[in-house]
Amino acid sequence: MRKILSIFFAITLIFISIGNSQITRPEQLKYPPLKFEPPDPKLSRAVLANELRAYIQEDKSLPLVTISALINFGTIYDPKDKVGNGDVMEATLIKGGTKTREGSAIEERIDFLGGVLSFFVGERTSTLTLSVLSKDLDEGLPIFFDVLMNPEFREESLKIAKGRIIEDLKQANDSPSSVLFREYERLLYGDHPLTYHPTKMTVEGVAPGDLKAVHAQYFYPKNIIIAAAGDFDKKTLIDKINQAVSNWKNRKASFPLISKKFPEVEPGVYFIQKKINQGYISLGHLGIERTNPDYFAVQVMNFILGGGSFTSRIMSKVRSDEGLAYNTGSRFTYRWGFPGTFSGYVQTKSATVGYAISLIEKEFERIRKDPVSDAEMETAINYYLESFADNFTTPIMTMQNFAQLEMEGYPMDYYKTYRDKIKAVTKEKVLEVANQYLHPEKMAIMIVGDWEPCNKGSDKYPGPLEKLGKVKTINLRDPLTGEEIKAK
Amino acid sequence: MKRYLGFLVSILVLISLSFSGEFKLDVKEHVLPNGMKILMIQKPGAPRVVCHIYYKVGSINERPGITGLAHLQEHMNFKGTKMMGVKDYEKDSEIDRKIDELMEKIYREKYWKTDGDKEKIAQWQKEADELIKSEKQYIIKDDLWEVYMKNGGTGLNASTSNESTGYYVTLPSNKVELQMLLESDRIENAYFREFYSEKDVVMEERRLSENRPGYFFDEQLNAAFYTASPYHWDVIGWMDDLKRITKQDLKDFNARYYVPNNAVAIYVGDLEPENIVKLAQKYFGPIPKGPENEPIRTYEPPQYSEKRISGEGPGASRITMMFHIPPEGDPDNHALSLLAGILTGETGRLYKSLVKEKDVATRVFASSRPMWYAGAFTLSATPKSEKGVAPEDLEKEIWAEIEKIKKEGIKPEELQKAKNRSEASFLRGMQSPMFMAMRIGRAELNRGWRSLQKDLEEMKKVTEEDIKKVAVKYFVKDNLTTGIYKRSMEFPTKGGQR
Repeated sequence: MRKILSIFFAITLIFISIGNSQITRPEQLKYPPLKFEPPDPKLSRAVLANELRAYIQEDKSLPLVTISALINFGTIYDPKDKVGNGDVMEATLIKGGTKTREGSAIEERIDFLGGVLSFFVGERTSTLTLSVLSKDLDEGLPIFFDVLMNPEFREESLKIAKGRIIEDLKQANDSPSSVLFREYERLLYGDHPLTYHPTKMTVEGVAPGDLKAVHAQYFYPKNIIIAAAGDFDKKTLIDKINQAVSNWKNRKASFPLISKKFPEVEPGVYFIQKKINQGYISLGHLGIERTNPDYFAVQVMNFILGGGSFTSRIMSKVRSDEGLAYNTGSRFTYRWGFPGTFSGYVQTKSATVGYAISLIEKEFERIRKDPVSDAEMETAINYYLESFADNFTTPIMTMQNFAQLEMEGYPMDYYKTYRDKIKAVTKEKVLEVANQYLHPEKMAIMIVGDWEPCNKGSDKYPGPLEKLGKVKTINLRDPLTGEEIKAK
Repeated sequence: MKRYLGFLVSILVLISLSFSGEFKLDVKEHVLPNGMKILMIQKPGAPRVVCHIYYKVGSINERPGITGLAHLQEHMNFKGTKMMGVKDYEKDSEIDRKIDELMEKIYREKYWKTDGDKEKIAQWQKEADELIKSEKQYIIKDDLWEVYMKNGGTGLNASTSNESTGYYVTLPSNKVELQMLLESDRIENAYFREFYSEKDVVMEERRLSENRPGYFFDEQLNAAFYTASPYHWDVIGWMDDLKRITKQDLKDFNARYYVPNNAVAIYVGDLEPENIVKLAQKYFGPIPKGPENEPIRTYEPPQYSEKRISGEGPGASRITMMFHIPPEGDPDNHALSLLAGILTGETGRLYKSLVKEKDVATRVFASSRPMWYAGAFTLSATPKSEKGVAPEDLEKEIWAEIEKIKKEGIKPEELQKAKNRSEASFLRGMQSPMFMAMRIGRAELNRGWRSLQKDLEEMKKVTEEDIKKVAVKYFVKDNLTTGIYKRSMEFPTKGGQR
């Protein structure tokens, strides 16, 4: 009864608010109640032939169908002397054809239908996706499963793919942001499958047999989850998939063991010389795994620190107050099965590199020392609660989210319990996780920029950069050989 | 008031777009008496509504001296109003006015004179810095942003193009009123605090672009291609102008372009059109109509001779060939767009010839981009440097492909494929409520959103002969600007090192 009354009260207020144009602050607006429950994964889950799992939802709003296969496989499994297997596979799974179809014929036909067939190899998950008009599903679906199950990796497609990958390798040191991203990870994870990069030799060494072996090892029904949404009849689609995979055999899972040991990084400044007019900066250390029970508190803490765009402290200070940067903040990245990274980041003109870093460091200290304000907590928590439904904007996105959750072994009530876990985060917990997971004393500060003006600094923060910690220079590697380029 | 209500009911019209005889897109449309247009698309599903507002203003509305201003204004529109971002408007505006007076003196001394008095400038700057510091007590930092986020706003952003500026937020479906309140406030009560530090932010944004390999070359290539029309400069503007633009420039620009009759608001998602219209009436309705703006005067004159530009830099070598094409709405554009589809992509002519058969390029690209007052058909390719291929070698190969089409035309299945792809890709874009809002909202500003449907229908009528005709008409040297870009430093010994 109380609930009904409060709804009535809210509705009355809306009309009052509509009638009253003298609103002086947005807080005076009253909104009608909105109840949203996330979709239940059980309702879309199915186990198909040969234990192939699937999340499938009908969506008749457009005459389109999208179907994805998420494969428990990625570049992390490239052996050290075959780094590039994943990259070449990404470029040739479709183009290399199948036992009965030429790659060019597949592409030509899908293009003619106005469809899209794409393959992406990630770190630990790879995805084959087909999108076609629903009238063409019967033609597209057999092609999709043929590519998934019977790729041939014909030599000609490998030759073209390798040519492009090697040409792209040559550009690996061109963009300061990609240099920073790569070298920051290399520093934090050390020499590890997470940071291996292909060279000309390893790419050239990839043979069709290698890719067939990789395919045989990882592409089998139990190791794959299907996500599909669109204009189809669910039962009919399931029948068709069952038919397509009926002869597809499972095999025993076999994944290389990958170390979870990472080096102790010496704190200090790591400088990479590049003749540009800004410094590109990341400062931080390894972060946490997403399965960590403190994940929700860390999200809220980082939102306030530097993850919440303009509402965050770092953005507010470094950009809005000081005009030092277009892009700045802090982030925790996450990767399946391994700790991600934590970093503060900014790109600023060379003279203000030291100053911007010092401001970010101050914010790291502040969030560890003092409790955050009630207003900051309110903004952060409300953001996560109120924007929650955004995870389910399109049915295919929902199906892919469910498939990914199951792939990574999350409890399937993840979304159901999500908001309660966010609500449970307190100011005390934010302070606690800031102290537990931010370690300014252990930080590596990596700068890609032009040494002299960066080191000189500006009036507000004169150099040298030694003030921020011991300075070490990192020489880039020749991306073709992986060998260090000695500075002249 | 009654008149408005009657108006509301009568003008609420429903229009259907029909694709392939199957797909129907309903856009509900309402025009406020002040000329502001409200578009609504119901897309049930998650209880969210994409709320976008587009203004017919972009970098083409600038002139030398104020290039970059449309984009700077987009930034400044996040810096508060009389209601937002301020604790005490009166006190704050008094300080802000004093800062502007000092900065005007500084600008005059610094930029109007060649031998400005440095001591005076330093003194005024010191005074301005003090005032900026004292103003902080009245400023609520990034207020608008915080209010949106606290209420579950996502996709929060804005963007400026050559022709339009858009402001974006996606909100829970019960909170659309918040967007109406804040956006109507931005139109009526814009107040540009922290102008000078925000100019620094924009200059940092420009530097970010500058550090992208090949940026300077592309900026010059674009400037060489568009010589007379205001497409000559990039949206970000020239650095000299960014430094010198004044608060008054911004106020004038704002008064002219941020008016309801120059705006379109579009809502896509879980919504009730009647409610949206009621709210729009309440919030946008009372804003007075603004001045009407004359269209751009200067179109691109014919080149009369080929233009070539060559440059070196720290990026991958490539060739870019740009041909002038007519603006949006010209019937030739349907054939040109399909021709780009026939040339580009991994089953397109350029890829088959340059990458697969001849093995001289690693990437190829073709696009046809008609804009409001001008247009460009662009072809580009990355040479296979492992084989010692230079960008100039690719120029010959691309011309050979062009000549083949001019002489022999294309095959019927190539044309059908390009048509199918265009149509399906349009449909695919409509899966995302955000993309839908962008596509339809922007189209409305120029030729009306119905032009999307019309263009698709016209495109289906294009024949093989039409394709050949446009190739012959536009792919001529006198209509071409060729850009040859080469990696300046020998790879890899000096690639990342200096």
